[in-house]
Amino acid sequence: MPSWPAETKYISHATTRIDGPAKVTGRARYSSDIQENGWLYGMILRSKWPTAKITDINLDKALQIPGIKAAVLARDKNMTVRYYGEELAAVAGTTKQACLDALRAIEVTAEALPFVVRENDAKKPDAPRVWENAPNYPAPRARDHGDVDTAFGQCAAVIEGFYSAPVQIHNPMETMGNTVSWTDDGVTAWSSTQGISSVRDGLAGSLRLDQSKVRVITEYMGGGFGAKFGAGVEGVLAAKLSKEAKAPVRLMLTRFDQALAVGNRPSSFQKIKMGAAADGTLLAFEAENYGTAGIGAGGDSGGGGGGADIPMPYLYKVPNTRVKQSAVAVNAGSARAFRAPGNPPASFGMESAMDDLAVKLGMDPLEFRLKNDPNKIRQHEYALGAEKFGWKQKYQKPGSSPGVVKTGIGCAGAAWPAGGPSRNTNGEAQINPDGSIEFRLGVQDIGTGTRTVIAVVAAEMLGLKPEQITVKVGDTRFPPGPGSGGSTTCASISPTVYDICTKALEQLQTLSGIADARGENWFKACKKIGINPITVHGQWIEGLSTNPAGGVQFAEVDVDTETGLVTVKKMLGVHDCGLIIDTLTLESQINGGIIMGMGYALYEERVMDDLSGVVLNPNFETYKLPGIADVPEIEVILVNMPERGVIGIGEPATVPTAGAIANAVANAIGVRVGSLPITPAKILAALGKVPPATA
Amino acid sequence: MNAFQYATAHSTGSARELVGDKGAYLAGGNDLLGLLKDYLISTDTLVNIKSLPGLGKIERGSKSWTLGALVTVAHIENDADIKKAFPGLHEAASEIASLQIRNVATVGGNLAQHSRCWYFRHRDIQCLKKHGGLCYARNSENRYHSLFTGNDCISPVVSSLATTFAALDATAIVLRDGKELRWSMADLYADAWKNPYAHNSLQPGDLILRVEIPTSRSRSAYMQVSDKHTFDWALVSCAAAAELTDGKLKSPRVALGSISPKPHEVAEANEFLDGKVLDDATATRAADLILRDAKPLEFNGYKVPMAHALIRRTLLKLKGDV
Amino acid sequence: MKNSEPENFGAHSRRTFLKSLGTVAATAATAQVTTVAAELEKANAEKIIGPNAVPVTLKVNGEKLKLMLEPRVTLLDALRNYSSLTGAKEGCDRASCGACTVLLGDLPVYSCQKLAIEAQGQEITTIEGLAKGGKLTKVQSAFIEKDALQCGYCTPGFVMSVTALLKRNSHPSAAEVKHACAGNLCRCGCQPHILQAAFKAAGVEMPTKTEVVNYA
Repeated sequence: MPSWPAETKYISHATTRIDGPAKVTGRARYSSDIQENGWLYGMILRSKWPTAKITDINLDKALQIPGIKAAVLARDKNMTVRYYGEELAAVAGTTKQACLDALRAIEVTAEALPFVVRENDAKKPDAPRVWENAPNYPAPRARDHGDVDTAFGQCAAVIEGFYSAPVQIHNPMETMGNTVSWTDDGVTAWSSTQGISSVRDGLAGSLRLDQSKVRVITEYMGGGFGAKFGAGVEGVLAAKLSKEAKAPVRLMLTRFDQALAVGNRPSSFQKIKMGAAADGTLLAFEAENYGTAGIGAGGDSGGGGGGADIPMPYLYKVPNTRVKQSAVAVNAGSARAFRAPGNPPASFGMESAMDDLAVKLGMDPLEFRLKNDPNKIRQHEYALGAEKFGWKQKYQKPGSSPGVVKTGIGCAGAAWPAGGPSRNTNGEAQINPDGSIEFRLGVQDIGTGTRTVIAVVAAEMLGLKPEQITVKVGDTRFPPGPGSGGSTTCASISPTVYDICTKALEQLQTLSGIADARGENWFKACKKIGINPITVHGQWIEGLSTNPAGGVQFAEVDVDTETGLVTVKKMLGVHDCGLIIDTLTLESQINGGIIMGMGYALYEERVMDDLSGVVLNPNFETYKLPGIADVPEIEVILVNMPERGVIGIGEPATVPTAGAIANAVANAIGVRVGSLPITPAKILAALGKVPPATA
Repeated sequence: MNAFQYATAHSTGSARELVGDKGAYLAGGNDLLGLLKDYLISTDTLVNIKSLPGLGKIERGSKSWTLGALVTVAHIENDADIKKAFPGLHEAASEIASLQIRNVATVGGNLAQHSRCWYFRHRDIQCLKKHGGLCYARNSENRYHSLFTGNDCISPVVSSLATTFAALDATAIVLRDGKELRWSMADLYADAWKNPYAHNSLQPGDLILRVEIPTSRSRSAYMQVSDKHTFDWALVSCAAAAELTDGKLKSPRVALGSISPKPHEVAEANEFLDGKVLDDATATRAADLILRDAKPLEFNGYKVPMAHALIRRTLLKLKGDV
Repeated sequence: MKNSEPENFGAHSRRTFLKSLGTVAATAATAQVTTVAAELEKANAEKIIGPNAVPVTLKVNGEKLKLMLEPRVTLLDALRNYSSLTGAKEGCDRASCGACTVLLGDLPVYSCQKLAIEAQGQEITTIEGLAKGGKLTKVQSAFIEKDALQCGYCTPGFVMSVTALLKRNSHPSAAEVKHACAGNLCRCGCQPHILQAAFKAAGVEMPTKTEVVNYA
């Protein structure tokens, strides 16, 4: 049975990223940096109507703009637009300026149709239908467990609360896009993607090519967070433009486009009623939730929990439950999987309700959680975290902090089931007579440190240093691996590399006669390879990885009760992910999850305008991301569990953050703000300081 | 952006000539290039005014300081003498946008910048200010908009330099067809108050030359609140300036930004404060007066208590206790 | 595609100048290049250029880039689309994210909101221009050491901002680092490590509070 070594030199220690030098020098080439010979700039024309019947899209004048080499329709010149920003056509030209001029020369004949962009409006029976043959809001059926009505009667304390979170936009720093070259030999796409295989298959399917004629390359990509799987409309358009223009086409979305059409996290509006016995045992949970996945309500949302469903009740064991939820369609871009789909809103609602109920019971919220969280690992993490955080010393009754600027603390838990590692992970290593070794895996490094994980595991298994390992990822010509999603990559590639190394050592041992080819014997053994290098194939094997992962987070905030400004002073994350491969990149992942959760809690909100149907904030000016001055001190406790093998961490790290922060705010001011993002405006409203409208 | 011609002017006369009817002056470009990128304004000629002589200096006179219109916000932030003479101006400058923007943003550009209302800035919305028929914000998303309005457009002025210059009783010198006009901040934004299509009182071809700041108020302070801690437009901003002798205010001025198309001042409040001891009670009363006629919309009512707090704090900051 | 540089930039200007003077004294011009250039500058002082492409010379990382650009081309556009200097990234094209940060002289600016024609006559430094002879700068090494990067897309911008900061203030406080980097966004969440890296590059080791604890 394979097993990880008990004593390790690199695994579970800190290793700097092997692609660090490329990134800090600007040498790293992203899809938007590719400059193939004769490349053209591509751009998409998007609908300025939220809904419309399009009867003509005339590209003639666009094709006459100097420098334009191709123009294609997105679908057909007869089409129905269902959201602001839907793709209509695309052009390719020698300069960005030519493309800008060409887009403005495309003539679109459209008849505007009624639209609805807000969840509450879309639920109304007389609302315009997003899809002609389906209601915007199919009535949800209740799922019952136990006897919730009787159970509420037995509770010592019951709370009812309304908790909501808006649509969140992925907004990775690099937008979606590809550089695509379609020649007689086939298609090569340099893709900003989390899934080179899904892009390849998507392009092959859409372009009606053999899969073997499509190659996808992703050496570096600027973040995806779940939105970047598949070729996307933009990838197919880039390919078509390339074919027509007979030149490579770089087509990247603009930041404006990012908020419209390439995915988002569904909103969530939760009515929760929850009750517990006097000793704090949860007895009953009843909830209604609705949210929008844009036009993709129901099964059409492309991954991530089908529409806007969220796991309820989240995390805690409640013997009697009733849950009703349904997605409501609006005329806005479809949802896509977004870092721990469904979990952050579920956690936020549940953890807010937990604190509200704890307060009603007169119990310390941490004690209340320990009473009801069945998970032993989290129990341990709460204990570790509470001690480091100083929970007992810091905890005060809600609103009792003195002064104008009030301090509060909160906590929340996370669980990430994850699908587990992908068994269909393959890789190879080429070992040269001079001892140099190159690993090739058809996976992606989306910023998580995949390359470095491969180098660390290989170094450990072979007795070499990580800097002696060359790692190549991100090419569909390499042995295929899974897309980077679900927090599964680390657990998929680590056993694969282990397998490759085991086989490599076996081969070297046979070739060289040296019993143990690791470490100081490596170069001696390799010299015996002969003229040609050896290639060793390997794949994922059992026994070295598992799932799930989880954690708990603590938050400390200051709330200025006169201006409403919320300052997160400190975050503490206590997370487990099995056997830690690299403490440095792991810490970065947790920081990243926390900061993203903080954005969700305090700043981020996609704003739709119900008069015009447009997205009002398709930019970084009014879609606000945490800046370096907003980010608090973040402490991390990494719980190493080698006995559980390798797991992943990307998603659980962002799940409990908003709940912890929201609870800290409620603890500070003594009043619940149940709506994200928790802005100064909402703080002041919760404190009863906002006068009614008179204008 | 649409294509444009470009020329560098070496005199204000040639700048005026080059700009003609459809041109635009280009200083730092933070606002202008953004407007062009979203096709919010159309122009066929950009006239670079960064080479105009004499507009890039900070000069100290006997009774006032002069900031040339081309002085960058970073220059103001880094000037130790400005910090001593006008601490409020230093504070306002250092909170503007980000360092990358402050390094190229100019005094003139900051004053002249166009509305940041998200309907105005949206390339596919023809709002009232863009000569469309409707102020969308009035009936929809107005969380960032004005508490005081003089016309149907509710977009507020966001120039934090304007707010601070108002409190300091500064004068903007504007060149119009060869003549120098002397405008208070109230004058500079008077048209925005009256006219829904206007961002300020500048007419096509007008050029801000400099701002003169009297030294009669040795104390000044500025504060703002945003959703984020940095690089975020103010939800409300406040500037105050006065002389303070034996704890008593002399010639106090308080101005609010981001809540009205012009820097918001209430003469009655300034008069009330004049001669009073500066303390919590007087600051509170002043805040009450300044906000008395606020007309909150559906989503911007929070600005009232926020502004109230800022007024008190900014005034008390004049004492110098930190 | 876009690297079309006018081979005889000098000759082109001479011809234009002479045409505007109305002389055909070509032989005289060849002998007096510097005088011609000075006169040319004066005559062209208020010259209107564009909207078509004009010759633009950018001094980037110590080298001259000779390009033909329309006036509306931004410096970022010039770097990324008209040269191979793709280190500066486009994150928003609206001066709101910092991924395009370059140095003009010593000043960090958003190259997406600067016209390329207006960046002439200045020393432009991009991320590619920091490491001399392949030797990483202190800032670059610190970013790697402290893992101040994940996907790396915001990294060039942050490195430029921190580099510029340390040039003007070799021992910044945490508040000063944050003030200098307020104009740079990161979606992956590298901010805490970026702060550590800035300190490290300034020679200060920030204590880390990360604990690794064995569960068993």
